[in-house]
Amino acid sequence: MAFEAIILNAVSKRYRRGGSWLPWPHRELALTEPEWAVRDLSFRLAPGRILVLLGPNGSGKTTTLKMVSSILFPDEGSILVQGHDTVHEDQAVRQRVGFVLVHERSFFPRLTAEENLEFFAALEEVPRATRTRRVAESLALAGLNDASGKLVMKFSSGMTQRLGLARALLKRPPILLLDEPTRSLDPGSAEQFWHLVRALAQQGTTILLATHSFTEAAAVADEVAILQQGRMVHHDDRPSGRNSSSLRETYFRACGRIGNPLLDELDLAIGDGVDGPPEPPAASSSNSAPTGGPA
Amino acid sequence: MIPRLSRSVALLADKMVAVLRRAILTALRYPAGFALSALTHLAELAVFFFLARSIGAGYRPEGHDYFLFLLVGTGFYSFLLNGISAFLNLIQEAQTTGMLEVLMTTSTSPTVLVLLSAFASFLSSAFGMFLYLLGGAIFFGASLGAANPWSVLIVLLLSLVIVVGLGLIAAAVQLAIQRGSAILWAIGTATWMMTGTLFPVSALPGPLQWWARAFPLTQALTCMRAALLSGSSPGQLFPELAQLASGCLLLPLGWFAFDLALRSARRRGSLAYY
Repeated sequence: MAFEAIILNAVSKRYRRGGSWLPWPHRELALTEPEWAVRDLSFRLAPGRILVLLGPNGSGKTTTLKMVSSILFPDEGSILVQGHDTVHEDQAVRQRVGFVLVHERSFFPRLTAEENLEFFAALEEVPRATRTRRVAESLALAGLNDASGKLVMKFSSGMTQRLGLARALLKRPPILLLDEPTRSLDPGSAEQFWHLVRALAQQGTTILLATHSFTEAAAVADEVAILQQGRMVHHDDRPSGRNSSSLRETYFRACGRIGNPLLDELDLAIGDGVDGPPEPPAASSSNSAPTGGPA
Repeated sequence: MIPRLSRSVALLADKMVAVLRRAILTALRYPAGFALSALTHLAELAVFFFLARSIGAGYRPEGHDYFLFLLVGTGFYSFLLNGISAFLNLIQEAQTTGMLEVLMTTSTSPTVLVLLSAFASFLSSAFGMFLYLLGGAIFFGASLGAANPWSVLIVLLLSLVIVVGLGLIAAAVQLAIQRGSAILWAIGTATWMMTGTLFPVSALPGPLQWWARAFPLTQALTCMRAALLSGSSPGQLFPELAQLASGCLLLPLGWFAFDLALRSARRRGSLAYY
């Protein structure tokens, strides 16, 4: 059996509403059923693969990424990152995972991009001797070498997002988690970003990416997992070619968009442009059961 | 074993330098903030100076000149409270900006990270207290020449440990119920009224005096006044220092509470709530 980079085994997560300490008139808040964010999610991801978690808002994508990073603990099931349990060996997990979160304000605004990265490089235990070079390389990879001396408070949303990527790359993580990574990027920057993601995967970085854009998923994924209300409703380890049509249909069904002719037409047009000419079908390329994964 | 330990110490020192550098760079880029803070403190000192003068030289709480009593009391109070609030502010700010989750993904343990960041605030508070006392000496003629530096240092270190413990508890409450500022308000009010910042503890009613003396920060302030104003040696202050040292039990308690609150927040998914 191949050594897996990430293993999720029947993982569930729910958000409690709290309020159990409230006095009687407000107790109904505490008695409300907790919301399930992720239900019984399982998959395995091999090193160097790109798995895209595709789903509408509130489908559990970000929660899944946060659990893999050990920011959140699962309520049920277990997650192993390069063999380390995210609950009991969270320190080892953090040393192996780079996470690009969507928070735009998660930098020190009165420091330059370079100063911010130098601070985070120290926290990531990048050796002092190589730190300056590593910071410069990360900035260059994110396309920010011209902005290294600029205060972060003067950055646009897209630049901040790219700086988030540079921060995640500082420790050269074997596993990279990306949450809506191109949300604020212009089309040109987004394309460059996808090239970078592909190059990183080819160098052996395992990538778990969350998006609600089918186009983006089809452009970069080795595998696609469609989430709906916290459950995996489809897993496809060959999402290109003819499979993309069924995948697209499954996704739009999950989003509740099937039946709206205008939206369907628009999405199909965008999707065709990205996927290119259809490829011949591959044997056993699609798994509808939510337990599939790479061989 | 030894190489691993020395590597850990080197890493910790490196992180501390990074945290301090970040704090200094940020402070330097807010020059107006420093000037305004200095003016506020000068105005405060002027109020205390004229208050002491209007009360008269005959009033000598705990045997000290009243202005000196107020100078050390309020300066040290600010140092203690700023130290405790450093933890809380750090967590609150990180929750609202989303920085908390980002910091939780770094290779540094969250508790170490909080301690390092609070350490930068401590240094800033200690520097602020030094300037405050210096301002009192330069502009209002306060004399601190009798101070015993060893006693001052010991009181400062013991107080620091207690403040870290209380700060971690406040940070834990912030993580648990997002209302750490309520704890800070309670500690701040209790410290302001009970520790003898503006008047001696002996002015309080009997039962309150007992509570005030049980509060470790009261001992800290009493010892600091004795060290700075009377020049008491560590030997002379031994009973008070021993009582102050017992307050250091707050450190493991705070550490445990913070770790528990952090793990609970990660399980409940409430880490970024505010």
